[in-house]
Amino acid sequence: MILKILNDWLGRSNKVERLWLLAKIEFKLRYYENKLGLFWALLKPLLDIFIYYVVFQIVIKQNIPAFASYLFIGLILWNFFVESTTGTIQILNTKKYLYEYSNMNKIEIYVSTLLSNAIGFFFNFIMFLIFYTFLEKESTGLSLYNFWILAVFLNLFILSLGTSLILSTLYIVAKDISQIWIVITSFLFFLSPIFFKLSTFKEALPSFDYGNPIAGIIINARRVMMEHQDPDFQLMGFNYAYAIFLLLVGLIFLNRLGSKAAEKL
Amino acid sequence: MDNGIAITAKNISKTFHISEDSHNTVKHRLFNLFNPPKRKDIPALKITSLEIKKGECIGLIGRNGCGKTTLTKVLAGVYPTDTGYIKINGSTMLMNLGVGMSQELTARENIYVSGSVLGLKIKEMDKLFDEIVDFAEIRNFIDTKVKFFSSGMMARLAFSIAVNAGADIMFLDEIFSVGDMKFQEKAIKVFASSWIEGKTVVLVSHGMPVIKTYCSRTAFMKDGQIEFFGETDRAIELYTADNQ
Repeated sequence: MILKILNDWLGRSNKVERLWLLAKIEFKLRYYENKLGLFWALLKPLLDIFIYYVVFQIVIKQNIPAFASYLFIGLILWNFFVESTTGTIQILNTKKYLYEYSNMNKIEIYVSTLLSNAIGFFFNFIMFLIFYTFLEKESTGLSLYNFWILAVFLNLFILSLGTSLILSTLYIVAKDISQIWIVITSFLFFLSPIFFKLSTFKEALPSFDYGNPIAGIIINARRVMMEHQDPDFQLMGFNYAYAIFLLLVGLIFLNRLGSKAAEKL
Repeated sequence: MDNGIAITAKNISKTFHISEDSHNTVKHRLFNLFNPPKRKDIPALKITSLEIKKGECIGLIGRNGCGKTTLTKVLAGVYPTDTGYIKINGSTMLMNLGVGMSQELTARENIYVSGSVLGLKIKEMDKLFDEIVDFAEIRNFIDTKVKFFSSGMMARLAFSIAVNAGADIMFLDEIFSVGDMKFQEKAIKVFASSWIEGKTVVLVSHGMPVIKTYCSRTAFMKDGQIEFFGETDRAIELYTADNQ
């Protein structure tokens, strides 16, 4: 099925161009509408980091080395996941104009929106690199291991795409899925080692890093970006399996439920 | 693939299920597990088969509520069919009063997005851009968001995109009822020119002169069924008789 879709994409030569065009417009819509513009996209993670830093390092005193960078990489990955899932629940409703009048493949709408989020992530990631190399006192600098982040991010992208497909197609038959998802995301947020020490997390919830797909992604991102290590390949394999499984379920949902979007929404 | 057929539809049908109270939340579904909602079935399109060749201009006529719009949406691949199957050869575009445009985007962005959805490359759109803008007469509003447009401007822009960018198969649902008289004349002139040559067009209209002039074959629909599909004159006769 995936092969067929990929084949179909590459066969029509303007598909890649179209995805990029839609992603660019989506990105512009999101950030250029308000006065702060793109600046806000850069400012937001810094403000988040400031808040969590005060709470977990100054008030609770966790003593994690390079905590600001530790938070930074965790939060930008997490934010990508939330923006790509919570932010796309109503996508079939808001982007109706794209599929209601032509036989365009709906999956393109998802991919382009996630691409636009990926542009945002890219800017945040550059900021992280600058912060980590020049401002972080306990930084260990850059290394070749950093390139593993591409594999980690691809994993996150597939996971987000799958989740987004499932949520937004369920939205067609159950409108309150957005409220339910908010509860689930806050559950996932607090059960991911975003601001806890990894050892505390592992002690309290043994092998939960295998249960929560987003936890493994964050753990591996820190290994390759901050600890100069290879990613934990077993964990990564698990996470890819999760992501691909969710993507397959999502594609089935899109096929079954998503085809009814034009008449139901 | 290319056997001269644009659309093959075999035994397609469409029934809309309309429930009286909305059962579309998890809460509602849980609380009413044993109390299913009252449903009303509306057979908008009864079992139908048809075939449209490439380059044909097909008319679709019938009284209000006979299923014309549903048929075009099913044929365009926007609604899934309940039974049978549809084979579409090429990109489709459905045009009625509001063609796929986002209120939040400017006219310029909408032109590029629509063109891209219809399968054109950005370079091709660059070439067509001025033509589209001039035809729609919105030169001074290119970078205005479409939500600030009047309905006439919207309709002109949509028509202009459809005419200039155009998909392989076009479904035109009552498009001649938009715009002022001057624009209507212009729209009809486009039809009179060689524009429709080489394109597959399904034209839904209540304007018999247009159907009579441009459609080689016409389908007359009644109560969700195609009663007659063939010679345009005969279809118009049946339609006129039905209106008496």
